[in-house]
Amino acid sequence: MREQSPDMATEISGLNKWYGSFHVLKDIDLTVAAGSRIVICGPSGSGKSTLIRCINGLETYQGGSIALGGVKLGDNAKETTLARRDTGMVFQSFNLFPHLTVLSNCTLALRRVLKMSRRQAEDIALHYLEKVRIPEQAKKYPAQLSGGQQQRVAIARALCLSPRLMLFDEPTSALDPEMIKEVLDVMVSLASEGMTMLCVTHEMGFAREVADQVIFMDQGRIVEQARPDIFFGAPSHARAQQFLEKILH
Amino acid sequence: MGFDLSFALSTVPTILGAIGTTLLVALISCLGAAGIGFGFEMLRRSGGLSGYAVRFLIDFIRATPVLAWLYFLYFVLPFYGIRLGALTVGILGLSVYFSGYLAEVFKAGIDAIPKGQSEASRAVGLSRIDTIIFIIAPQMLRNIAAPLGNYFVSILKATPYLAVLAVPEMLGQAFDIASDTYRYAEPLTVAGILFLLLALAISQAVKRVETRLLGSNRR
Ligand SMILES: Nc1ncnc2c1ncn2[C@@H]1O[C@H](COP(=O)(O)OP(=O)(O)OP(=O)(O)O)[C@@H](O)[C@H]1O
Ligand SMILES: [Mg+2]
Repeated sequence: MREQSPDMATEISGLNKWYGSFHVLKDIDLTVAAGSRIVICGPSGSGKSTLIRCINGLETYQGGSIALGGVKLGDNAKETTLARRDTGMVFQSFNLFPHLTVLSNCTLALRRVLKMSRRQAEDIALHYLEKVRIPEQAKKYPAQLSGGQQQRVAIARALCLSPRLMLFDEPTSALDPEMIKEVLDVMVSLASEGMTMLCVTHEMGFAREVADQVIFMDQGRIVEQARPDIFFGAPSHARAQQFLEKILH
Repeated sequence: MGFDLSFALSTVPTILGAIGTTLLVALISCLGAAGIGFGFEMLRRSGGLSGYAVRFLIDFIRATPVLAWLYFLYFVLPFYGIRLGALTVGILGLSVYFSGYLAEVFKAGIDAIPKGQSEASRAVGLSRIDTIIFIIAPQMLRNIAAPLGNYFVSILKATPYLAVLAVPEMLGQAFDIASDTYRYAEPLTVAGILFLLLALAISQAVKRVETRLLGSNRR
């Protein structure tokens, strides 16, 4: 594990993005300090996925800047690639590689990107598969696992590269209710180990338990940013209130 | 004059002697067509000017008869100082001709892969090339094993076109025997049966590969 130091923060400032004429992200300013855990929520279409996809380079943007650990993305292609390697991504639909075993899903990048030997890569992969409590499934193919198990493998796959920032995009919303907890448990223990996390989720119990900041997005803007006790106690923005009422029934 | 079985059997060694040429042409043409077709599809996907050029080229290839390619490569290229042997021309012609079709097959196979696959690959830091080799190509092959196998059989069945260049493949040999002896039924039947056996063998092999791919790839 690498040490978390303040200069490893992620700095987003004045971020603007358009899809054609549709203004999807508007003047986003956000600092993710090393070791912090930020939960993003908001109605469908508010730009949550787009924001975190910009951070790891799956989307381009037209205005503002994103800096990972002091490296401004886009300035220098090589540095950008290296900085992006410091972010891990977990998708709503797992996106495991179906033609590879669980173990190979985890070792592929270690071997191809970090040029590790098979043994070295497998040792690391097994370490993280243990961490997500699934080492016994290493030889299986993704389709042989339950959704919850697949998502835990996806988390292990991302952790293998020792990211400094973990991005989650609704990691539990494609799961059956009985599997949500096993994934959230893994995320809680990651948080307790000090992993920096930026997590889009509507699991408000999780947000209460681990988040030190909750962000509410609406129509491409960060409308509210507050500690969870304050956010859940008395959100200051009317849209956030309505949203919370809907989601907490 | 009925079908003379012993005469038929006597033609087998000569015709079978050409099976090596037929298989060699078919095999290299399959690899060539797959390689060129995959390259075309990658260029087409990359968009831009080369993408447009390749799109046009694929349509052009698919609109020309295979014989036109063989004649062009054999008789027209020397005019520009490029002189290739008959066997090379035959293999090249079949490769180019079928690459246009295989590009379409590859396209379908890639389109069927969820977008999240290449995103996940980029997210773990794999390069573009590694993404193609380790993530896209294997899933594409699984998606298209059946149509790909059909095209391989089609390539085998197109090898007799090389007779126009006097390449000694199976059907050409059979025809030579026929014109020497004025007996057509026997040698052509023998050649037909041998082609049938080869085609069956290829389809069987493809089916095996397909079940193996699917077996280890259950979604
Ligand atoms: N590739 C695209 N082209 C055009 N518009 C897009 C594209 N991707 C997303 N959008 C639009 O951008 C907006 C924000 O999308 P985004 O996926 O970021 O929302 P979200 O907050 O994650 O919503 P959800 O809760 O449904 O996941 C939506 O209105 C969506 O329709
Ligand atoms: Mg989303």
